[in-house]
Parts: sequence; C-alpha cells; structure tokens
Amino acid sequence: MIRVNDEEMEFYGNVLELLLSLNLNPQVCAVLVNGEIVKKEMWENFLLKDGDYVEIVSFVGGG
Amino acid sequence: MFEIGGKTLKSRLFVGTGKLPDYSLVEKMYYEAGVEVFAVAVRRIGPNTKHTKNVLEYIPKNAIIMVNTSGAQDHKEAVKIAMIGRELTNSNWVKVEIEKDTKYLFPDSIETLKACEILVKEGFNVFPYIYPDLNLAKELEQIGVEAVMPLGSPIGTNKGIGCEVLLKPIINEIKIPVIIDAGIGRPSHAAKAMEMGADAVLINTAIATSSDPVKMALAFSKAVEAGRLAFEVGLLKEYEYAQASSPLEDFITG
Repeated sequence: MIRVNDEEMEFYGNVLELLLSLNLNPQVCAVLVNGEIVKKEMWENFLLKDGDYVEIVSFVGGG
Repeated sequence: MFEIGGKTLKSRLFVGTGKLPDYSLVEKMYYEAGVEVFAVAVRRIGPNTKHTKNVLEYIPKNAIIMVNTSGAQDHKEAVKIAMIGRELTNSNWVKVEIEKDTKYLFPDSIETLKACEILVKEGFNVFPYIYPDLNLAKELEQIGVEAVMPLGSPIGTNKGIGCEVLLKPIINEIKIPVIIDAGIGRPSHAAKAMEMGADAVLINTAIATSSDPVKMALAFSKAVEAGRLAFEVGLLKEYEYAQASSPLEDFITG
C-alpha cells in the first residue's frame, strides 16, 4: 500500500509506471517521494515500496 | 527594451495566469498583447485534486516562466517549490511568495528573506513579493535578488497603488528593478506605477477575471508603455494656479 496525494492505493512498480497508470503526462509532472524530489532520470529505477508517500505536482495558473 | 534576470524584454507587463477561464488565452496574450513573462503556481495533480490541466503546455516556447512559490507557508516550503519548478521548466525565475493566512495574503517578510538567501545561493533569479518596506528591499538587494516586487494593495483587491509614499522611496533608493505586484486593478493604476518609475508591473486578477482577458492585457500593455514613456521624459511639476497655455497679451479687442 502506498499513499498518493493523500489517497491510499495498492501499487507495485516504479515512479514512471505510477504516473502512466494514473493517466498523467510524465513530461509535465514532478514527483516527490517522502518529501524528496525524485529526478526524472531516476523514475524508471525508483521502485515504490510499501508505506511510501508520493506527491505528484505540476503547474497550474498562478500569480 | 530592458534587461532583467539575464533576459532582454520588450514588455514591462508581467502577467499571472491564476483564475484564467481558459489556459489557451496565455498564448493569445503573448502574441496579441506582447506579454513575455507569465507567472505560474505549483500544485498537486492527479488523484484527489482539482487540477487536471497543466498550464505549462499552453505557454509559448519563447515566453519566460516565473515560478510562484504561493502556497508556501515558510522558507523551506518555498525553496522546495522553487526546486520543483526548476526541475520541470528549466526556468531559473522564481517569485518568492510566502503567506501564512489566506484572508489578507500579506507576505511574511522574515521567511521571505530566509528563502531568498537560500535561492540566490542555489543560482536562481529571485523575485521576492514584499511589503513596500525600504529596509527589507535594501536587505534583499544586498543578498543578490534580481528585483523586488512590492505590493500596490492586497492581492486581488483591484485597489491600485495604495501606498505611494512607501513605494516611492523604494523606487528612488533601490538600484535593482522594482516591479509593482498585486492589487493593481485598472490600466490607469499600472500607468501610475510606471510614471512613478517602477520598472515593470505584474498583473493577474485584473486581467484574468475580466470579461476579455486578452483585450484587457492589451489595455494594460498600452498603459504600462504610456506610463514608462512619461517617466523617461519626466513628469512636470504641479501648480496652485492656472498657467495659461495661450499667450496672455495681444488679444483682439474688436
């Protein structure tokens, strides 16, 4: 079980696979795991493990 | 033309993209109103969020992205948002905006200064959103921020230049650019900021929530240009009594 943006979910795989499974465009997302930024080039090698807290962020309109 | 943050800009009108009814308007503002700098915010997307669209996809390639740290309540959060922003955009421009409440949205000066110190060292072009506080502005100039962005009035209030007596000393004393940010509601407010000698203005609400954001951006763009030209020429002094424009002698007597 991992937590993604405060939602618990069963997921096995790496960061890139998580984004794709959520239908998010990886080009425009940044990912934090347990509060730390995981760089894009690391996504395929970064396996998510039980208890990880993932935040997926992107850009929205802002002042 | 003016130089700022390692770029040469034609337009002194910076635009925030919050509250826009449609992100495709960003591109129109770029082409039709000449806006070159767009502020954006970082938020969660995906499960359990309101956001599904990414504004970056709508910003023209040659425009400059200014990542706003809004939502940060302290310097650590602001630094994290700036890092995420750079990771996603390759843009070095960060607007440091740190607020602890959503009622007034006043910037937290102490946290802002701390965040700026870190971000300057990390090599960002730092644009802090601040109170019109000359001492703070001097401190920020000293640590190497790119510009200071004092507020005209509270964010989104459309009240205009509410503290001219505090802004003027900043414009006069600070050598780095001064960008008036927040509270500007009308093109005439923007023109006034520029006549006072501001280097640029940042407008969000007044454009984004108007019935025609592109047309309003154009109106602001013209006002900013007019105000700047007048500042460069120099405004004339005011007089107590009438000063005749036509000669006061050799009248026709009939």
